Amino acid sequence: MISVKNLSKSYKGIRVLNIENLEIPKGQSFGLVGNNGAGKTTFFSLILDLIQPTTGQIKNKEILVNESEEWKTFTSSFIDESFLIGYLTAEEYFYFIGELRGQTKADVDTLISQFEDFFHGEILGQNKYLRDLSKGNQKKAGIVATFIGNPEVIILDEPFANLDPTTQIRLKQIIKELTQNKDVTVLISSHDLQHITEVCERIVVLEKGDVIKDISTSDATLKELEDYFTGSVLS
Amino acid sequence: MIKRFLSLEWKQFTRASYFQKGLAIKILMFFAVLYFGGMAIFMGGAMFFILKKIMPEADPIETVNNFMIYWVLANLAIRFFMQQLPVMNIKPLMIIPIKRNIVIHYLLGKTVISFFNFISLFIFLPFTVVLLVKGYPPVYVLFWFLSIMCINMALNFINFLINKNNTVFYAIASTLVVLIGLEYYDIFKISKPIGLVFNTLYTNPYLVVIPLLLMAGLYKINFNYVRKGFYLDDAVSKKAEKVNTTDLTWMNRFGSIAPFLKNDVKLISRNARPKQVVMMSFFFLFYGLFFFTSDVYYDMPAILAFASMFITGGFLMTFGQLVPSWDSEYYKLFMSQNISYKKYLESKWYLMVVAVAISFVLSTPYIYFGWEIFGMIAAGALFNIGLNTFITLLGGALNRVPIELNTKAKAFSNTNGFNLTQMLIGLPKLVLPMILFYVPYKLVSFDAGLIVLALSGVLGIVFKTFFLNKIERIYQKGKYKTIAAFAEKK
Repeated sequence: MISVKNLSKSYKGIRVLNIENLEIPKGQSFGLVGNNGAGKTTFFSLILDLIQPTTGQIKNKEILVNESEEWKTFTSSFIDESFLIGYLTAEEYFYFIGELRGQTKADVDTLISQFEDFFHGEILGQNKYLRDLSKGNQKKAGIVATFIGNPEVIILDEPFANLDPTTQIRLKQIIKELTQNKDVTVLISSHDLQHITEVCERIVVLEKGDVIKDISTSDATLKELEDYFTGSVLS
Repeated sequence: MIKRFLSLEWKQFTRASYFQKGLAIKILMFFAVLYFGGMAIFMGGAMFFILKKIMPEADPIETVNNFMIYWVLANLAIRFFMQQLPVMNIKPLMIIPIKRNIVIHYLLGKTVISFFNFISLFIFLPFTVVLLVKGYPPVYVLFWFLSIMCINMALNFINFLINKNNTVFYAIASTLVVLIGLEYYDIFKISKPIGLVFNTLYTNPYLVVIPLLLMAGLYKINFNYVRKGFYLDDAVSKKAEKVNTTDLTWMNRFGSIAPFLKNDVKLISRNARPKQVVMMSFFFLFYGLFFFTSDVYYDMPAILAFASMFITGGFLMTFGQLVPSWDSEYYKLFMSQNISYKKYLESKWYLMVVAVAISFVLSTPYIYFGWEIFGMIAAGALFNIGLNTFITLLGGALNRVPIELNTKAKAFSNTNGFNLTQMLIGLPKLVLPMILFYVPYKLVSFDAGLIVLALSGVLGIVFKTFFLNKIERIYQKGKYKTIAAFAEKK
């Protein structure tokens, strides 16, 4: 689904990301871990064509992301709060995204009704603008909005951060369900090794922009990751 | 402490990404500053001799004093529209041990070294020197000069209040409107007593204490005002606004750009900044009253063309010129959602067209001034729709200053979107209609001027797709820079 070739990003001569080759097949749940500055958000931003690659290219379903805008029709993402429109209510925001993705109001209603437990009664019918919601609730709205319009690729940057435990557990279920049928490719990054090993079938570890590990998740993965990150503390 | 603030300030200035914009604009701004500064000095030096020549029987200093009211008004107006008020990021300073008062004194002190304060200095210093050379009593002249400078500073502080506080703004604006009206219709000439005041200041040097006290008083008011605002309201008490929901489904008839238009309506109705700006654009409608009521301008049709364009172009000028900035808070969403750049730009284009159309309908009372004038307004409206919209969108491609949508007139945030750069980008918008009208008017006739101005607009409408495609490409090229600049927190 997503293929990366010779991708690198440098800021003023300092390379912050360097991925020679990475193929993410359709329907994979792909996890990205790494310490701060490892290049996770940079990588996601490159996939979304929010920043320009220094070298190389990214293809999203055979579409070069920096040359055509076609990938936008089947890709959705939530990177940070700047993906929310603060002066809309959550419902209005969902409908707006729905309209952009060719969904009727009823379609959107049906979809978000599935997430009522995820929202925990704090998002819908609140009569509050998104900017007045707490960080965690904003995040919930942003995450659910990415599910609107049957996207084929969903990119979530640190979706677990700022969420309360109940929602974290529910989010894990949601992501698992999404990738069950192998239709939707999900890319997430996280600092929580446990969550990400639970949810993702493949985990890539970045360190200072380089791919250090590329693991197919198994029971041993969590231990392996923990050992790796402990090691980088000791060394 | 002050030294440290200055170094912070310098870093913020030079490291902001919108500082690193085109060299051309920087050079242009440099020349503009040089030009206005030079003009001021020259005018100041020559003023005495010019006045002597025009009115040989009057004492130049008295004439100057009589006209001082215009200096005060122009000074205030220019400041209001152009002076960038100092911004300081106070949040990090609130919890470290710096006395609040120092921060505030510093902030207010910073406004003193504005170019706009120097303009008056540049005018009056040479004038004062000339007076001294001409043998006017030094004590009188020097204290008069001091008074003027104190008033200049007082205006500086008034401007600060006007910008930060809506009540003060409306109070002063309405007082001015009333006074100008009274003056205009010869009911009460405020310029007379004001002239008298300045003359009295000149003849009684000890009265310098009044401007001095005025300045100090305004400083104190500013100080108290800022001090009161020295809290992070949001952090202490987060009060959620009541949601206003209006049914906008009727807008769906606009097809694929309907979602954007609906969004823009919400943007305007729910956020403080755009609301202010749209209010301001309403005042543009009355712009014509200044020009069409005075005979002076009837001999200068180019000025009339300019005024006509202004009447329907208010929204274009105020809202339109900040176009991608309005969406700066969620620009990344727009750039990664299922939106083509062209659709986005097209929706903004329609918004501006609708605004011009509404202004045009509202401008029908101008028929009172005759069909010729109204024809001009109509031609100006066409120009606005057909060409000015595109010029505005084009200028937007250079505009990378993020806007905080819901921050209105708070003591520490920058609320002034109308800065010098914006004005320079906007220059073609003002000059073009004058040229388009004036050249055929001079060569052929008044009607020819009207027709050319109107046709230029029609041309723009006909080639809309072409223009939009071109503009889209320019936006596309600057996309990454714009995203990066908008992501920058102020």
